[in-house]
Amino acid sequence: MSRKIFVLFTLLALTAALLACTGAPPTSAPPTSAPATSAPATSAPQATTAPPATTASTTRPIKVGIVDTYSGPPAAFGNDALNGFKLALSEINKDGVLGSNIEFVTRDDKYQPDTALSMAKELILEEKVDVLVGTVNSAAALAISSFAKEQKVPYIVWIAKSEAITGAKGHRYVFSTSENSAMAGKAGAEALAQKPYTKYWIAGEDYEYGHAIADAAWNNLKALKPDVTKAGETWWKTGEPDLTPYLTAIMAAKPDAIIFATGGAGMTNVLKTAKAMGLSDQIPIWIHTAIDTSVLKPLGANAPEGVMGTMDYLFYYPETPENKAFVKAYQDAYGAPPGFPAFHAYNTAHFIAEAFKKAGALDKEKFIDAMEGLKIDSPTGEIEMRACDHQVVEPLFMGVTKKNPQFEFMTASDIVSVAGKDVMPSCEEVLKKRSQ
Amino acid sequence: MDPSAVISLLLVGLARAMILFIVSAGLTFVLGVLRVPNVAHGSLYMIGAFVAFTIATAFGQSSAGFWFALILAPLVVAAVALIIERGLLSHLYQREHLMLILFTFGLMLILNDLVKLIWGAEYRSVTPPEILDGAVTLFGFNIPRYSLFLLFVGPLVAVGLWFLSNKTRLGKIARAASVDREMVGVLGINVSWVFAAAFVIGCALAGLGGALVAPTTSISLGMDLTIIIESFLIVIIGGLGNTWGALIGSILFGVSQSLGLLFFPQFAIAFPYAVVVIVLLLRPRGLLRSAW
Repeated sequence: MSRKIFVLFTLLALTAALLACTGAPPTSAPPTSAPATSAPATSAPQATTAPPATTASTTRPIKVGIVDTYSGPPAAFGNDALNGFKLALSEINKDGVLGSNIEFVTRDDKYQPDTALSMAKELILEEKVDVLVGTVNSAAALAISSFAKEQKVPYIVWIAKSEAITGAKGHRYVFSTSENSAMAGKAGAEALAQKPYTKYWIAGEDYEYGHAIADAAWNNLKALKPDVTKAGETWWKTGEPDLTPYLTAIMAAKPDAIIFATGGAGMTNVLKTAKAMGLSDQIPIWIHTAIDTSVLKPLGANAPEGVMGTMDYLFYYPETPENKAFVKAYQDAYGAPPGFPAFHAYNTAHFIAEAFKKAGALDKEKFIDAMEGLKIDSPTGEIEMRACDHQVVEPLFMGVTKKNPQFEFMTASDIVSVAGKDVMPSCEEVLKKRSQ
Repeated sequence: MDPSAVISLLLVGLARAMILFIVSAGLTFVLGVLRVPNVAHGSLYMIGAFVAFTIATAFGQSSAGFWFALILAPLVVAAVALIIERGLLSHLYQREHLMLILFTFGLMLILNDLVKLIWGAEYRSVTPPEILDGAVTLFGFNIPRYSLFLLFVGPLVAVGLWFLSNKTRLGKIARAASVDREMVGVLGINVSWVFAAAFVIGCALAGLGGALVAPTTSISLGMDLTIIIESFLIVIIGGLGNTWGALIGSILFGVSQSLGLLFFPQFAIAFPYAVVVIVLLLRPRGLLRSAW
């Protein structure tokens, strides 16, 4: 008996000791389940029984279900998005929407498509959410998307970037407030097409987003500059700790330039290894999101300079009053500048609020009609939800990594802004893909 | 194929193998002496990397910070291991293997959540010391200096482990206890503390591996998963509990990966696993003699 107590005691002591030895409280411990809601468990069915559009108020709060990644490496994105969403809600709920508030519940999908799907099912069937949003993993987003279509519940993807989400696998009930791989790939391809390189190597992480961004960049580049050739491809599994052998093999092939297709922690790994091997001094590199703050910040001065990247949000660019106000509000609330997930989630919240105001009723079909073609003012300027494919139209920024005396980490320099409509596939192209 | 490319890939593959060896040597040591398949080994490796980050940051990511981290991180992990062994594991040795796996699996979940509570979910990075920063050109290829450093540390650890298990009293008792723990107890030796020492040494190696890998990669949650799968595979193909087996297994794993990259880059992911399958088909009990 005393042994059991001893074991229990040691377990407690171990926990306490580990917590005490760094003393740092969790900066943004994510809720793993349903915070901040007190909605009655038996909320009435909406959609069909909602009041007619003429009565522009409802007594029930709008309920948003968030399925996102709050554990493992992508949790950094999930937390950032949640903070951005909360910040927007604090602004929106001051005046309210349709006479009530927007509330939310969160679920952790652990970066797994099957978990994401069961969480989405729970939120739709048990929690009866009006709108579903999230997540990081493109495969998870696609899984939720097809269930949302079946259940006729609007689903807004806010971090995942695979173009299939609003492209080949798009439908009436899915939206994306994130720039997608088609847009990023075309922006990158246009920048690369102006350079003299012809022999390319493509390398990246073997998952949905990696292949999507690589294909988009390559197909666009091939179309813009037909004489480019692909010397080879290398793919590694996500979370591969040491990329030195991979990059050594690529250097042995002596390509003119390399397109890397990685995301998240894999980005940091590629940049770090490229710097350590002197690869970035010898061979030009393009990586979508190479200039992202969440990638460059952990590396400090250890990142390679001169890597070409594209991004749809930078907290230091554009230097407009709107962006500065957003950054300041976020920084005051959460102690760090916002990343791109916070920007997307902030916009998503405003899209939801504006669409319900425009619809005038808590009705899912009317919400979707209202979302189509809706324009809102984002921190980087006016952005639009394209009516034909439900993909957000927003500017992209291209730049190269460079040391910046203002910060302890590198930032993008020589930034060029590209209009969203110039890099998006046309409505006809998207609809053709959907019909195939 | 360019022979210098083969040599340089061989070198970086061996450097990768050295980290795998240091971590899986710890795993196989614990497995051999205590008969405990420590699923939480990868978490201790992750803790080693995060502690290395904290120490390096305390020194402003300077060169000195890295060297302190390299020495202190394994010691911190050893202290955690000592608490785990004395407080929890030492009461469970009589249980069957399934229970022990369940226990270490639970421990893994707890440790991973603690890492998230303490360090958060952001990626971290450690700056390599100036002397090991950048690359040297060998045979016309850039090889990171840090890889050469790993090629030096790996054999050092191997020799140290050999010395420990063959030339010291503790090592001899540990080897004897792994064969017949009751008989060692009958001889009047306190087996309990020998087990504690073996567990702490094994876990400290995981911590050392974590500290060594810190400058080459991004330190993030989930880094434990890759390493625990790879080190279990290495331990299995090397022969359970056999340190030299772990060394051979790591080299097979690391070199097959890097050379596979040169010849079949599109299938590189599958290459080391194919080697594991072939080894197990030919020698189901591992390459070298298992301690079990």
